[in-house]
Amino acid sequence: MRRAHPGTEEKRPGDFSAWWYRRGRFTASHVLLVLMAVTMLVPFMWMVLASFKSLQEVEQLNPIPSVWRFENYLNVFEQVSFARYYFNSIFIAAWVTFLQCLTSAMAAYAFARLQWRGRDTVFRLYLATLMIPGVVLMIPNYTLMVKLHLLDSYLGLIVPASFSAFGTFLLRQFMLTIPSALDEAAAIDGASPWQIFWDVIMPLSRAGLVTLGIFTFLGNYGSFFWPLILIKSEHLRTLPIGMLYFDTVYGRQTNLIMAASVMNIIPLVILFVAAQKHIVRGVQLGAVKG
Amino acid sequence: MRRRHELRAALGFLLPNLIGFGVFTAGPVLFSLAISISNWHLHRTVAFQWIALRNFVELLHDRDFWLYSINTAYLMLGIPVAIAGSLFLAIVLSQRLRGIVVYRTLFYLPTFTSGVALMLLWKALYNPEFGALNAAINWWLDSLHLNELVQALGGGGVSAPTWLLSTKNMLGLDVEQIRIIPGQWGLGARDALIIMGIWIAIGGNNMLLYLAGVSNIPPELVEAAQLDGAGRWAIFRNVTWPQLAPTTFFIVVMSFIGGLQGGFEQARVMTLGGPAGTTTTISYYIYTKAFEEFQIGYAAALSWVLFSAIFVITMINWRLGHKELHY
Amino acid sequence: MKVFFAITFCVLVLLSVVAWQMKPDPPPGKIPLVWVSDDNPARRQQIALFNQLHPEYDLRLDPRASTAGMEKVMLQSLAGVGPDVFDAYGPSELDAFVRSGIAWDITDELAKRGVDLEGEVWPAILPTGIREERVYGFPANVAVDAIWINKDLFDAAGERYPEGPWTWAEFIELAKRLNVRDARGRIKQFGFLCDWWQWPQFIMLFGGHIYSEDGTRCVIDSPEAIEAIQFMRDLMYKHHIMPTPVDEATMATMGGWGSGTITYFGAGKGAMALGGRWWLCTLRDYEGLNLGVVEIPHEEERIYRAYGRATIINRYSPRREDALNFLLYQAGKEYNDLINQQADALAAIVRYNYTPEFLHNPEHPEEDYNEVWRDVVKYGRSDDWSPFVNGQTAMRILNKQLDLVKSDQKPVPKAMRDAAREVNEEIAKTLEMDPSLRIKYYRLTGRERPE
Repeated sequence: MRRAHPGTEEKRPGDFSAWWYRRGRFTASHVLLVLMAVTMLVPFMWMVLASFKSLQEVEQLNPIPSVWRFENYLNVFEQVSFARYYFNSIFIAAWVTFLQCLTSAMAAYAFARLQWRGRDTVFRLYLATLMIPGVVLMIPNYTLMVKLHLLDSYLGLIVPASFSAFGTFLLRQFMLTIPSALDEAAAIDGASPWQIFWDVIMPLSRAGLVTLGIFTFLGNYGSFFWPLILIKSEHLRTLPIGMLYFDTVYGRQTNLIMAASVMNIIPLVILFVAAQKHIVRGVQLGAVKG
Repeated sequence: MRRRHELRAALGFLLPNLIGFGVFTAGPVLFSLAISISNWHLHRTVAFQWIALRNFVELLHDRDFWLYSINTAYLMLGIPVAIAGSLFLAIVLSQRLRGIVVYRTLFYLPTFTSGVALMLLWKALYNPEFGALNAAINWWLDSLHLNELVQALGGGGVSAPTWLLSTKNMLGLDVEQIRIIPGQWGLGARDALIIMGIWIAIGGNNMLLYLAGVSNIPPELVEAAQLDGAGRWAIFRNVTWPQLAPTTFFIVVMSFIGGLQGGFEQARVMTLGGPAGTTTTISYYIYTKAFEEFQIGYAAALSWVLFSAIFVITMINWRLGHKELHY
Repeated sequence: MKVFFAITFCVLVLLSVVAWQMKPDPPPGKIPLVWVSDDNPARRQQIALFNQLHPEYDLRLDPRASTAGMEKVMLQSLAGVGPDVFDAYGPSELDAFVRSGIAWDITDELAKRGVDLEGEVWPAILPTGIREERVYGFPANVAVDAIWINKDLFDAAGERYPEGPWTWAEFIELAKRLNVRDARGRIKQFGFLCDWWQWPQFIMLFGGHIYSEDGTRCVIDSPEAIEAIQFMRDLMYKHHIMPTPVDEATMATMGGWGSGTITYFGAGKGAMALGGRWWLCTLRDYEGLNLGVVEIPHEEERIYRAYGRATIINRYSPRREDALNFLLYQAGKEYNDLINQQADALAAIVRYNYTPEFLHNPEHPEEDYNEVWRDVVKYGRSDDWSPFVNGQTAMRILNKQLDLVKSDQKPVPKAMRDAAREVNEEIAKTLEMDPSLRIKYYRLTGRERPE
């Protein structure tokens, strides 16, 4: 069994056989990881390479462009207001992520840490709404947006996406694993639920919050259908809508789509690299719990 | 005393979410329930009527509905593999290895990319001749002399699958009727989508959830088990797995929901539901009925049938989860 | 944690202020008009020209999705916020917009303003705008396909460029000679490239129909239609001059579903291809292509598929009178000259295709084949459609059967019979649903309604 476990690495006694054992396991994990990483990476390298090709060459089998066309990237900015779409996508996703983390954490706290009658029934109702196919909610929700005058506005993209049964469910599961002794102790010290929420539960749920944050940001950043029908003005368009320009009835500018997609991914990679540390930091926080 | 106090607090904490919920989910849900018993059609010439359960009766006789239900279920076959893979990967990636950030990011890359770019990537991988997958398969076929072997036995020869172009599948499901025929046995578009789904999901959100779950396990528990002389498998079985129970429960429930509602994006940008409708799922069918064929009432009825299926399966998960995962 | 949330909130509020500040002011005193169409360079130029000619308006584009894009207009109109003008791509889309009551009947408005649609527009394209003798859509362009040829590949094979009129037999022989195989005997360059979705075109070329003339029946199982589909299948599996789905996937390293053939042809993977003048919108971006055009081979029948966009005014738009100016713009010289110059197919108004600039675009002197395009439009015919079945539903059924033919999984006659039967069943279902259609159907068929 090659399964490794966190925290075991440092705890092994430092004799020679253990060192060898560790060394061997280390290498085995690395080899396996490298192999898997390559299968993940190759398609993306190929996508990056394609983004530098000419329109003809995109269809050819050679992976390396014969002429590197860096101007493809400039073309994307020249042909559409790519910078503005970029800003809009990030801006909207950031708001949604913030609001969703907040409202979901609060609701999750009520479902996971507070005792009240009917709690599980209400929670199941919440959960049930997750199961309703989104397509059918589109028409009433759209009509609602019109009634609320949220059409063609940032708010129309941000507000409906800010409440999530998914997020509530996710954070509830995380909060359930926090030992109940902690908030009971705080309550005995006279802390209000509000204080317990912010000072005890939220810091311990960091890994969950970061995870939800990443999910929400990603999901919203890539959303297509809702912005497509809700937004009319060019200056409010998001990246997926803006990219329609390269994929039209007249044909597809594959090289530019690739260039745009590469740029599309960059903020996500930055976000992920920055955020994933906090998932791991949970390891240290775990020590607090005991 | 304490209970009442907490009920008030709970209400306070729930309020923001509840308001959003009432407005953006509860209302529309009731609305869609109502129109599922109507014949609402976007064509004005079809007069609006309440038709009770007629949509649901028609649905029972709608062969496409059943075929697409089977497609949906079939496409979910990859879910257990994806979950197991994510768990394994999360445990490996929770170590302190050099360059671990790079690995995590790489494995998460497929989740970043979506839509057209991913479709183009996978179309290339599934290229029948030059694609990486078939190049490997052809190499094996050649080096094992499988073709000669099969031909010697009187078979027609083995060739690599044509993936996205083929209606074949692992179970041999027929295209137009609900039955299994040997001619359909093989690998086709649906299997291609399953493999792609696993590839995307394995290092994706579920892995991240498991990673967060693993890092939340108190190291003391592991240490205690080690002091007792437990091996790695025993530690996994007795410490890691039970500690991950809430996470696993969440992932299983969400994967089933996602699977039953799934296939919309893939169908819309990658296959348009083809070839011959074999990658059309229920959710794509609902979209088609509502926004291309304008039978809103019928689409709502379809949605409610899908909802019921999801609900029943989730309840089963819930029951099993309580028993198995101590949650 | 509290601090983190507070800081994030402040940053987001600040960003919101910035975002709000970056809002471009609408030009003062201008009447805004919104047009839902697909987003591309040609469309943007068409808008810029309108705004320049009509400074009192501010016309903006609201993009629709490139495939199945009706949902946007339908949903917006349903909620009462539809665009002022929008496009319909073909008779069945027009029908959907008319029947959902959002297309404005502009027959009288056009007459009042002295536009004689039927006298000025190519007859082949009228059905994309006219429904039951009322005008709802203004044809924005007209396309009829022909055979594109890649002259360099002809030169390499030492073949003379074909000239019409010619027959399918001649075509097949030529295409066979233009196939180029690699060392392993696999075809790496095909004589002929053609999108499979061109099958309605072939049915038309062979004198067949999808629906009976009154639209009451699907007749895709007629001998002509079966012959046409069989012919298409044979191009792939018998003559090996057109890529099978597997060939196509093999030669593509990228490229998409549906719009693939333009990109393959642009990349030199085929010597001939079936397509329209609008391909130039993409092919002009390919460097060093040397192109020619020849009429589609034909025997006694000389009918080609005509298709195009039609622009519709939203009946509920508060600015629908203003929107009429956009249609009048589409009837005018500037717009039609622009269409011809962009090669966004051909101008829908006949006379603008008889200008010297049409024949010889000074910016593209190499395009010496415009006469062919004008010539084939004369033989154009619009797509078959039936009022008794939803066009999208019918297409889903038909495409399912044709997919099976395309991959050579089902014999053509059987597939066509199943297709016709299923569409006819759908017609029966539609009649059940829509009483107004029922009346019309029984009037046309002369049959009594079975009670």
